[in-house]
Amino acid sequence: MSFSRLEDRRLVTGAGRYVSDWHLPGQLYAAFLRADRAHARIVSMDVSQAQAMPEVHAVLTAEDTQRAGFRSLPCAAPIPGKGGAELIKPYRPVLAAEVVRFVGECVACVVAQTEEAAQNAVEAIVIEYDDLPVVIGAEAAIAPGAAQLHPNIPGNLAIEFETGDAQAVAAAFAKSAHIVRLDLHNQRVAGNPMEPKGCLVRHDAGTGDYFVHVCTQGTAGMRGQLVATTGIADEHVHVVAEDVGGGFGLRFNAYPEYSAVMLAARITGRPVRWVASRSEVFLSDEHARGVSSRGELALDAQGQFLAFRFDFLNDMGAYIAPTGPVVAVLSIRACLAGVYKVPAAVANVRLALTNSVPMAAYRGAGRPVISYMIERLVDQAAVELAIDPADLRRRNLIPAHAMPWPTANGLAYDSGDFPAVLEHALEVADWTGFEQRRTQSAAHGRLRGIGLASFVEATGGGAGPDEVEARFGGHGEITLFAVSHSHGQSHETAYAEILSAVLGLPRERFRLRNGDPAVRLAGNATGGSRTLHGVGSALRVLADDVIAKGRELAARALEVAAADIVFADGRYHIAGTDRSVTLDSLIEQHSGGAVHPLDTRSSARTGGTFPNGCHVAEVEIDPTTGVVEIVRFSAVDDAGTILNHTIVAGQMHGGITQGAGQVLGEHAICDRQSGQLLTGSFMDYPMPRAIMIHGLTLAEHPVPTPTNVLGAKGVGEAGVTGSLPALMNAILAALRTAGVTHFDMPATPARIWGAIEAARAGDARRFAYDRAQ
Amino acid sequence: MYEFSYVKPASLDEAAQLLANHDDAKPLSGGMTLIPTLKQRLAQPSHLIDIAALTELRGIEVTAGQLIIGAATRHIEVATSMTVRTALPALAALASTIGDPQVRNRGTLGGSVANNDPNADYPAAVLALGATVHTQRRAIAADDFFQGVFTTAIEEGELITRIAFPLPTRAAYAKFPHPASGFAMTGVFVAETGGRVRVAVTGAGPGVFRWREAEAALADRFAAESIEALVVDPSGLNADIHAPAEYRANLMKVLASRALRAILNSSEGAVA
Repeated sequence: MSFSRLEDRRLVTGAGRYVSDWHLPGQLYAAFLRADRAHARIVSMDVSQAQAMPEVHAVLTAEDTQRAGFRSLPCAAPIPGKGGAELIKPYRPVLAAEVVRFVGECVACVVAQTEEAAQNAVEAIVIEYDDLPVVIGAEAAIAPGAAQLHPNIPGNLAIEFETGDAQAVAAAFAKSAHIVRLDLHNQRVAGNPMEPKGCLVRHDAGTGDYFVHVCTQGTAGMRGQLVATTGIADEHVHVVAEDVGGGFGLRFNAYPEYSAVMLAARITGRPVRWVASRSEVFLSDEHARGVSSRGELALDAQGQFLAFRFDFLNDMGAYIAPTGPVVAVLSIRACLAGVYKVPAAVANVRLALTNSVPMAAYRGAGRPVISYMIERLVDQAAVELAIDPADLRRRNLIPAHAMPWPTANGLAYDSGDFPAVLEHALEVADWTGFEQRRTQSAAHGRLRGIGLASFVEATGGGAGPDEVEARFGGHGEITLFAVSHSHGQSHETAYAEILSAVLGLPRERFRLRNGDPAVRLAGNATGGSRTLHGVGSALRVLADDVIAKGRELAARALEVAAADIVFADGRYHIAGTDRSVTLDSLIEQHSGGAVHPLDTRSSARTGGTFPNGCHVAEVEIDPTTGVVEIVRFSAVDDAGTILNHTIVAGQMHGGITQGAGQVLGEHAICDRQSGQLLTGSFMDYPMPRAIMIHGLTLAEHPVPTPTNVLGAKGVGEAGVTGSLPALMNAILAALRTAGVTHFDMPATPARIWGAIEAARAGDARRFAYDRAQ
Repeated sequence: MYEFSYVKPASLDEAAQLLANHDDAKPLSGGMTLIPTLKQRLAQPSHLIDIAALTELRGIEVTAGQLIIGAATRHIEVATSMTVRTALPALAALASTIGDPQVRNRGTLGGSVANNDPNADYPAAVLALGATVHTQRRAIAADDFFQGVFTTAIEEGELITRIAFPLPTRAAYAKFPHPASGFAMTGVFVAETGGRVRVAVTGAGPGVFRWREAEAALADRFAAESIEALVVDPSGLNADIHAPAEYRANLMKVLASRALRAILNSSEGAVA
C-alpha cells in the first residue's frame, strides 16, 4: 500500500507516539484540584486528609511552588501600547494562592501511585471559598463599577494598542459621502485538539536535569516558558516531543500544569505523568476569539473607500496567556485595511480581563478577526450603497502593478494579484449563475444566499532565525532536526521533498527527528503558517550548503579542482567530461564515523509574507427550522509557490471547515452569573464535521513571494480567514431576503429561526439571545 | 471512575437477586449513559450487573399482532432487523437515527427506555404506539410508564425484559437532532393504531409527552395541514442555551408535519 505522505503509515497504523504513549519505570500520576467557581478568595485549604491517603506521594499547593521559587507564568506585549503604554501584567501563579479567577484554574496537584488514587485524593482536599463578583465578557469587564480581577489592573484593562493614523482617518471621514458602521461579535470558541494536553516529567537528581515529554508546537518556545515560570536554568530543561495530535495554536504555551508536574517529579523523585481528560481540555485549554468589534468605513460618492476605523475589545480571560496579546494585535496591524487601496486606516485594540479561561491562538490567530470585520463591513457597504458586492470590491482592490504595496499603517504587502484572484473565484463559483440557483431553492421553500470574501493574511516572520541540521552518518538514512514541531502539518513529507528535489535523493531517505532534546537548535514554533517559508527556506539553504561540502569531497574523489565540478541530479560532474561521482556514493563512502563530513547546520531568517485569496460561499436556509446548509464553497488562494498540492488542499479543507464550525455553532458559553462553562462537553459543544461543506472547490492562484527562497507564502490559516466572512456574508445575504438586516455568529438553527421570526414580527428583540461570550 | 465490582449473571433471576442483595448495585446494559456518568465520577455504584447478554432479554419477534423486542436488543439490531423493518418500519428508522454507529452498536432498547432521557428517541415510539413495557414482575402500559425527566414507573430491582409494540396501520418518526449530541432537540412520533391516532413528543418538554391537540386534530383529518393549523403554547417547554421554548414549539409542528407527509407520501409509512 502506498501513502502520499511519509508520516501516514506511522500515524494511520497507530505507530505514532503521543504524550500518553510515553511511560517511564516507576512513574506516578498527577491529578489537579481545579477551581469550581469563577472568582473567589481561598479562605482555607486543608490537604491533610488527602496527604494521608494510601498511595498518595505528595500534595502540592501554592506554598510548594512559592518555596520552589516559581514565578508568574510569562506574558508580554509584542508592540508598545498607545502612547507607549506597557502591558500591565497580571500575576499568574502555577497553583492559585489566594484567589481563583476562572473555573478550572489549578489550585492543588496530587501525586499518587495510580490515576484513580490521585483523583480520590483530590476529592479529599477540603477547601473553603469566599465568592467574589464574577465578570464575564469584555464589555462587562470594562464597565464602570465592574469587579476588579487583579489589584494592579484598574478597570480590568491590561493595555490599549493603536495602529494606523487616527488623524488621517478623521480627516477622511469628515469629507466622505457615506459612512457605514457595523458592530460584530466574534464569539469565544474552544479549539479541542484531538490529543488532550499532557506531560510526563523525569527529574535526574544527580544532574538536576528535567526531561519534559509534552505536546508542543515547538520545543524552544516551550522550554523558554517553562524556564521563565520555574526559574530552573535553561540547560537543565529538556523538552521531548514526538507526535502531537493537533494544536491550532493551543499547544504553543506552557500550561501551568507542566510546571507543577516538574516540581512533583523533583519532590517525589519519580517520573510523574499527567494527561488531561476531555473535560479538563474544555475547562483549561486556552480558548480563542472572543472579540467585540466596531467597524466604520468611509466612502466617497463613487464607492471608493476613503478610510477604515476599527475598535476591537478582546476578552482575554482571567490572565494574559503568552500568545494572547500577539493574537489580539499583530494580525490586525498586519492586515489593517485588507486587500483595499484605502489611504487611511486605524484600529484600537483593548485587552480586558474576565473570569474565564485565558485566550490565546487558535487557527488564524487574529486573521479571522480582522478579515471577518473588514469583509462583513464591505458587504454592509454594498447593501447600503446598492452596489454589487463583487463590483464594490473591484473598485477598491489594490492592483497587482502597485505591489509592493505600502499599507496605511506603514507596513508593506510584498506581492499578490488581488483583482485576478477575485475574478478567478467568481468564475469558479459561477457567481453570475447564482440567481438561477436561487430561484431553484425558492421553489423548495429555501432561502439561498451567496457571499464572498477577499482577504489578505500575514504569515509570521518569526522571532528569530530557523536553524536546521542534517546528519548523514546513518548508513543511507539522513536525519533532519528542526524546532518547528508538526502537529498535523506534514513536516516530514514537506521537508524531505524540499531536500529531495535539490539533492536528487529519494524522499524516503530523509527522516525527521522532531523534539530531540539532545539537539538544541534555535528556531520558532509552528504557528502563523510560517514553517514552510521559515524552516523550508532554511532547508533550501542547507541543501546548498551540503552540495558545497560535497563538492570538496567530490573534488578529492575525482582529483580535480572543486571549481571544475558541477552538481546536477544528485551527481557531481567534471564539467565537459563524462566523469562523475554521485552524492549518494560520497555519503556512503564517508559513513561510519561519529561525524560525517556532510553533516550540516544551516539557518535562514525569513520575513513575513501575505497569502491572500477570495472565497465564495453559497448557503441554503430552511426558514422553518433555521438550518443552514453550505451547498457550495469555492476557494481561490494565492499561497505563493506550492510544493505539494495534496498537503495544501488538506490544509485548505481543514481551515475552511474550522471556519464553518465557528459560523454554524461553535461557542464556548460562560454563564454570566456564575462563570461556569455551559458548553463543557461534546454533548453541548458542536465540533465541525467533515460533512458540513458540500460542493467544495479549490483553485490555486500562486504569485510567488520574493521574501524567501522558496517563493512560498504559507497556507495553514488561509482557509479559516476566508471562510468565516464568506460564509457569514452568504448567510446574511440569504437572511436579508427574509427581512433580517443584522446577524452575529454562531448561525445555529435556533438563532437563525429566531432572527427570521423577529424580522417577520417586526421586533428585533423577539427571540433575541443574550449575546454570546 | 470510582471502584466497583463487575458481575455478569447467568440468568435474569440471578441478576435480580444481585440487585436485591446490593443496595448500590446498578444494572448495566449498553452503558451508553451509565459509563460516561461513571467516568465523570457522577455515580458510585458498588456493583455493575451486566445484563446485556442475558438470553431472556434478547430477541425480536412478531406474535399476535405485536412486535416484541427484548430489552437488551441493540439499536443496530432494531435498525437492521428485517422483522422490524417489515412489521414496524418507523421503529427501525428511528433506531437508525440514534446517536452514532458506536452508540447504536452498544446501546439497547431497554436501557434507553429505562433511562428515560428527556431527549431520547425510543420513548416517543413507545408512547405513540401505546406499547407495553414488560418487567420480570409485571406489564406496564406506556401511558403509565414515563413519569418525567429520567423518571419511570420502574421500581428498585425491577428490570425491563421486553417491550411489546402493537403494530400500527401507519406511523412515522421525525427528528431534529441536536447539532452536538445527536439527541433529539425535538422528535415527534405519529402513529395510527387500531383506528386511533397517537402523537408523542420527545426533547421538547420535561420528558416525553402525548400531544393531545395534535391527536384530536389528526383524528379529525389525518393530514399535515391539521398540524399546521395548531398553535403550540411554548410555556412549559424546554429552554436552554441551545434554543428557546418557542423554537421547540415550532419544531413540534414542523416535525409532526414532516412525519405526516412521510406517512402520506410513502407506501411504507416510514420515517421522515
